[in-house]
Amino acid sequence: MSVELSPLQTWGALAIAAAGTYACRALGVMVSDKINQDSEFFRWLSAVTYALVAALVVRMVLMPVGPLGTVPVGWRLGFCAVSLLVMVVGSRRRPALALFSGTALMLIYGIAGR
Amino acid sequence: MAPDFQSRQEAFRAGLKQAMGAPILVLFAGMIGFGAMANTLGFSVWLAMLTSLLVFALPGQVVLFEMLTTGASALTAGLAVTLTSSRFLTMVVTLFPQLDAKDRNRGLYARVQLLAMTAWAVSMREFPHMAPTYRLPYFTGLGLPCWLIAVPGTALGYLLAGQVPMAVTLALVFINPLFFLLTFTDVRPWLYRGAIVGGGLVCPFFYEWDRDSSLLVSGLVAGTAAYLVDRLWRQRAVSAS
Repeated sequence: MSVELSPLQTWGALAIAAAGTYACRALGVMVSDKINQDSEFFRWLSAVTYALVAALVVRMVLMPVGPLGTVPVGWRLGFCAVSLLVMVVGSRRRPALALFSGTALMLIYGIAGR
Repeated sequence: MAPDFQSRQEAFRAGLKQAMGAPILVLFAGMIGFGAMANTLGFSVWLAMLTSLLVFALPGQVVLFEMLTTGASALTAGLAVTLTSSRFLTMVVTLFPQLDAKDRNRGLYARVQLLAMTAWAVSMREFPHMAPTYRLPYFTGLGLPCWLIAVPGTALGYLLAGQVPMAVTLALVFINPLFFLLTFTDVRPWLYRGAIVGGGLVCPFFYEWDRDSSLLVSGLVAGTAAYLVDRLWRQRAVSAS
């Protein structure tokens, strides 16, 4: 159903991908030995990492790959907003209820939309 | 909330307990989605399961299979995955310096495999609330079940592919971004709040400009800007007092 792939190609790609990903993790361990968590460099790098992760999340919501792309962007943003409101309104955080409400809304959309 | 652990075992169990809620659900849903994708693209279930175990980074796994499908060479596909995994470098560098000095030894080279975005986000939130000595066992308790669920999740998704209604698939793939969005609301320091908002705002612009580098560039630009503003504020606070 797709391109004919040789075992060498698929398993070889997996070997390189796994080694490369682990190398990023291991390099992190190596570098973290030299870094003080009270340093200015640590503050800067943490800010960059938070910004990067936030960008990834925005990309998952606004420019998704796969089935989420079939849901109009307004609905996607709306469901996120409802979920966030459930989380922060009131004196206590409600992560489980917030996650459930957003997911349930998407499920209802999926059922009603087809 | 300030966890007051009596022992490292207790911290490990607290990590396990934390994992059993949203984190494991997010990982499980994500891996189900990946398994289903592997099936529809025509890859073997063994390749899919081994990918989840060894790579254990969802964006990288998706890139690997997408590139192989389009006929990329093993080297090109492997390097592209490595590039998407470069975020682990900064994630480890921001998390592990918070561990107790005596825990920062060679054992970390094994435990670092348990790190995914979920365990990172939760640990960054919880670590400041506990003494350094409890952080490594807590992280292990949190990360281990998340890693172990990856393979069964992938297998289940592979089996279920095409057999569940689209509405269920939609809900499953939506759990991922939603969870991270909710985690952000627990971030306290203004520096990191600014970085999160900034990173989210600039991402669509850089995405238009160049898709592949957009995440890294957004992170660098928004993170550096937030850092500089925060630094200016701190300097003013010092000179005012």
